[in-house]
Amino acid sequence: MTSMPTTRSLLTALSLLLTAAFAAPGPSQADTERHEHAVGFSVHDARLRWLPGDLPLAGYFALTNTGQRTARLVGAASPAFARVMLHRSTHRGGVAHMEHVEGVDIAPGKTLHFAPGGYHLMLMKRHHRLSPGDSVPVTLRFADGRELSATFRVVGAGAQ
Amino acid sequence: MGNTLRAIWAAALTAVLSLTLAGCGQKGPPWALKDISGLMPPLKFTLTDANTGRTVHAEDFRGHLVLLYFGYTHCPDVCPTTLSRLSRAVASLGPRANDARILFVSVDPARDTLADLKRYAPAFGPEVVGLRGTQDALRALTKRYRVTYGYGKPDSDGNYEVSHSAAVYIFDRQGKARLLARPGDKAAAIGKDLARLDADH
Repeated sequence: MTSMPTTRSLLTALSLLLTAAFAAPGPSQADTERHEHAVGFSVHDARLRWLPGDLPLAGYFALTNTGQRTARLVGAASPAFARVMLHRSTHRGGVAHMEHVEGVDIAPGKTLHFAPGGYHLMLMKRHHRLSPGDSVPVTLRFADGRELSATFRVVGAGAQ
Repeated sequence: MGNTLRAIWAAALTAVLSLTLAGCGQKGPPWALKDISGLMPPLKFTLTDANTGRTVHAEDFRGHLVLLYFGYTHCPDVCPTTLSRLSRAVASLGPRANDARILFVSVDPARDTLADLKRYAPAFGPEVVGLRGTQDALRALTKRYRVTYGYGKPDSDGNYEVSHSAAVYIFDRQGKARLLARPGDKAAAIGKDLARLDADH
């Protein structure tokens, strides 16, 4: 029975070590989290769907407005692409259209979904080769001048 | 008189019931997708297979279930989303997945070269075939299935949007038009109907 506290302290030490190990590569991640909270947003599931050659890619994410005021997303940019636009796919009378979007409002506490078949980022003219598994920085710009940097993961063409 | 009337009613009821049952027997249980049997002509086209660079005809795909979809490669959202959904539906056939072919016909042949299509189509699965044709060949095929497409105004970089019918036409092994998959139809529903068509000889 005397081994119990020893086991427990060993486990505690191990978990602390593990925490430290996972935190070690994460200062940048922690910074991003702090940054995201500082500007009143949180981003999840940020990804780009890979296509071959230099075809334009779609970017998807879920963006939550954690602030007190309505935020208006008005643009995006990435050092990996010459141009990034806000787009929306629509279906009218069985016909698929793609249109440029000037801006999208997000009410406080609400989450805006950029998802397949609806709102998406259109990223054009790659500055370098990309492959599934790569990470790409993208900055989202808001009407009030705020900016939010997020890392987008490149996923395969067949990803949902 | 009462008995005669009753007999007539019984005969009428039997006739109606047997007609209804016969109708059900022909149609079978409802399909998950829209049934277009007899509403669209059989598959017919002459296009270029981007993978081989050779001219192909609809007859070359007889013996396969065919999923016909119209799109363009400079379409980052709707076309990959649809092709990914169709590919998952075909993959759900398991070992019979090779019985199906997804034909991706470019409605933007001016921008989609054979080389573009050759790289693009297989990115979604080995069963996806990129097809390209002259505007005349494309017009004949799209007219046949009442598919519409149009080009937007080019921007300062020369990029333009292409609007196109979102539906997917599904043909049986004999090339007969059978089902229509629309944007709201999930991969599981498409897969279920494909399995049923595949089992139907």
